[in-house]
Amino acid sequence: MNYCNTVTMGGNEIDSLIRNRIEFCWVVALRAEAVPIIEAFNMKIFSNDLLYPIYLNQDNGHALIISGVGAIKSGAAATFLKVYLSIQNYAAWINIGIAGYFEDAKGELYQAIKVSYQDTGNTFFPGMRFSRILKSEVLRTVGKPQKDFSEPALYDMEAAGFCEISTSFSCNELTYVFKVVSDGPNHSSNLLTKKSVSNLIENQLPKIFEISDAIEKLVVVEKKRIHIPIEAQEILKTIHFSVTNRNVFINTYRRWKAKFPDKHLAVSEFAMYSPKQIINHMEKQLSSETDSWVIQ
Amino acid sequence: MIETIYFEEEVFDHPTSLHVRKALPRADWFPIRSYQELFNKRHQNFRLQKKQPELILAKKNSNFVLPIPAGFGMDTSRNFYFSHMYNCLYDCKYCFLQGMYNSANFVLFVNYDDFFHSISVIKNENHDASATFFSGYDCDSLAFDKISGFADHALDFFYQHPDINLELRTKSVAVGALFKREAISNCIIAFSLSPHEISKVLDFKAPSVARRLNALKNLARHGWKIGLRFDPLIYFKGWEDQYSTLIANIMLDLFDENIHSVSFGPLRFPKKMYKKIVSHYPNDQFYAFPLEEKNGTVSYGSHLEIEMRCFLERELAKYVSEEKIFQCVLH
Ligand code: SF4
Repeated sequence: MNYCNTVTMGGNEIDSLIRNRIEFCWVVALRAEAVPIIEAFNMKIFSNDLLYPIYLNQDNGHALIISGVGAIKSGAAATFLKVYLSIQNYAAWINIGIAGYFEDAKGELYQAIKVSYQDTGNTFFPGMRFSRILKSEVLRTVGKPQKDFSEPALYDMEAAGFCEISTSFSCNELTYVFKVVSDGPNHSSNLLTKKSVSNLIENQLPKIFEISDAIEKLVVVEKKRIHIPIEAQEILKTIHFSVTNRNVFINTYRRWKAKFPDKHLAVSEFAMYSPKQIINHMEKQLSSETDSWVIQ
Repeated sequence: MIETIYFEEEVFDHPTSLHVRKALPRADWFPIRSYQELFNKRHQNFRLQKKQPELILAKKNSNFVLPIPAGFGMDTSRNFYFSHMYNCLYDCKYCFLQGMYNSANFVLFVNYDDFFHSISVIKNENHDASATFFSGYDCDSLAFDKISGFADHALDFFYQHPDINLELRTKSVAVGALFKREAISNCIIAFSLSPHEISKVLDFKAPSVARRLNALKNLARHGWKIGLRFDPLIYFKGWEDQYSTLIANIMLDLFDENIHSVSFGPLRFPKKMYKKIVSHYPNDQFYAFPLEEKNGTVSYGSHLEIEMRCFLERELAKYVSEEKIFQCVLH
């Protein structure tokens, strides 16, 4: 698939092609960190002309944006990705990259489960723990590369900015920060090269695949919860609903569908109905079932 | 099993924390400033958290004991509740905690003695009337007991204060602490029950009704006063037969003298709470039932409620003296 062709389409076409497919949004500071992820998930460049480079594989639902270094850039890039591709609320947001560590653990992959921002004192607790796959640690997001590792923590320059923004795109439990230790008291960050940074990430790909499988299971649960079925979307497209009626319709439709999984709301049948009439139609059917209500 | 424990630094060495450490030796511990920074944060997903809740150890600093909310049940002249814990190991579909908190993580307030001190103060202020103190409003009183060790502390305290009552409300069969000691006459072990057919669908992660019945009957034999709680009453096809069978099974070898009280109440939610809970289960048949909203409360509506109330009263009256039966009313 040639993604450069896709970007020449109108906004709505990008929307309909992509927005429902993307389930993983990777936000990565450096190209050297991003390359192993891009290759591992077969992503292709979406466009070189954007504010930030975006890579995509809409078949497996992965998107990646390269933010540049720093917390503000990380948050801004995540926002750009969310808005530009109209990412749905059930997608997972993942910040991955290298980090300093107070101990000698070069090459180890950690999940950051507590992220504090040195600049503001704000604290975040991203994600659900995957303790069967990798170790967890606290992380401090700092403004400059760290030389002093006195506190027992990981040190990076992006995660807090990323967490501050991304948790509001889906939820805290679908926001993740993973870091590979690149430097520490005995390993200076000055010795890192693009190649060595890519290698650090690449060496952790088996674990990264395991993590993405685990995240996918959570995304599926959340998608099932909030996804509006096509049938209901069709009705919403065809008939004009006020904002309030739209919400009432969606909630009633879901209850109705839960009770009558084999029934359908065909647009053709209801095209002449008002929103209220459609909602009442479903409520009436639900009410007619109360005497024989089964809990299963 | 709990893998992650967040702790307020000042409670790290508290005896309750040490008890937790022994009970969960493999958990990782992470310091936090205050439990609110984790428990109250925005954009939490209750349903996903419920798959793997974390434990937060904290110190409660105020509001240890509060008057019970309207409609909680039991006609004692003074009723109070206290919550040494927020959230529950179990995952009942109708649980109102899902609508109350943003987080499914457990908060355990380790300073049990401060709760007991507050209870003493209230007792001294109300020396003219017998008071009942309910545990298990924001959690299940016993489900977490192997980790928290709370029941022993509470029972020690109430043993010393026989003029006030304690109700431990539970669906748990973790009643070991109760068997290890003599029954205390001012302590009620109240079991929440519903027919097996719906409990197996709705009371996710909780012990089966059969196991609860077994536990409550053993406790009764051991001399403990038993409370029976049919709250919420759930409406479904065949509910009369199912509730009738449940009550008959409970009473099979349980006698009126074993029973402290029986209470029942219809399924009901404050409107805001209901909306939040339904958003957790938008596609679930249980919440597809057409409930009614009246005066800010969502419920089955008065017609079904009266029908269920009359039926329960009739069934219970076959076995239990009338003055022990209470209805948790809508407000
Ligand atoms: S046992 Fe009670 S507190 Fe626990 S989940 Fe069930 S209803 Fe909620």
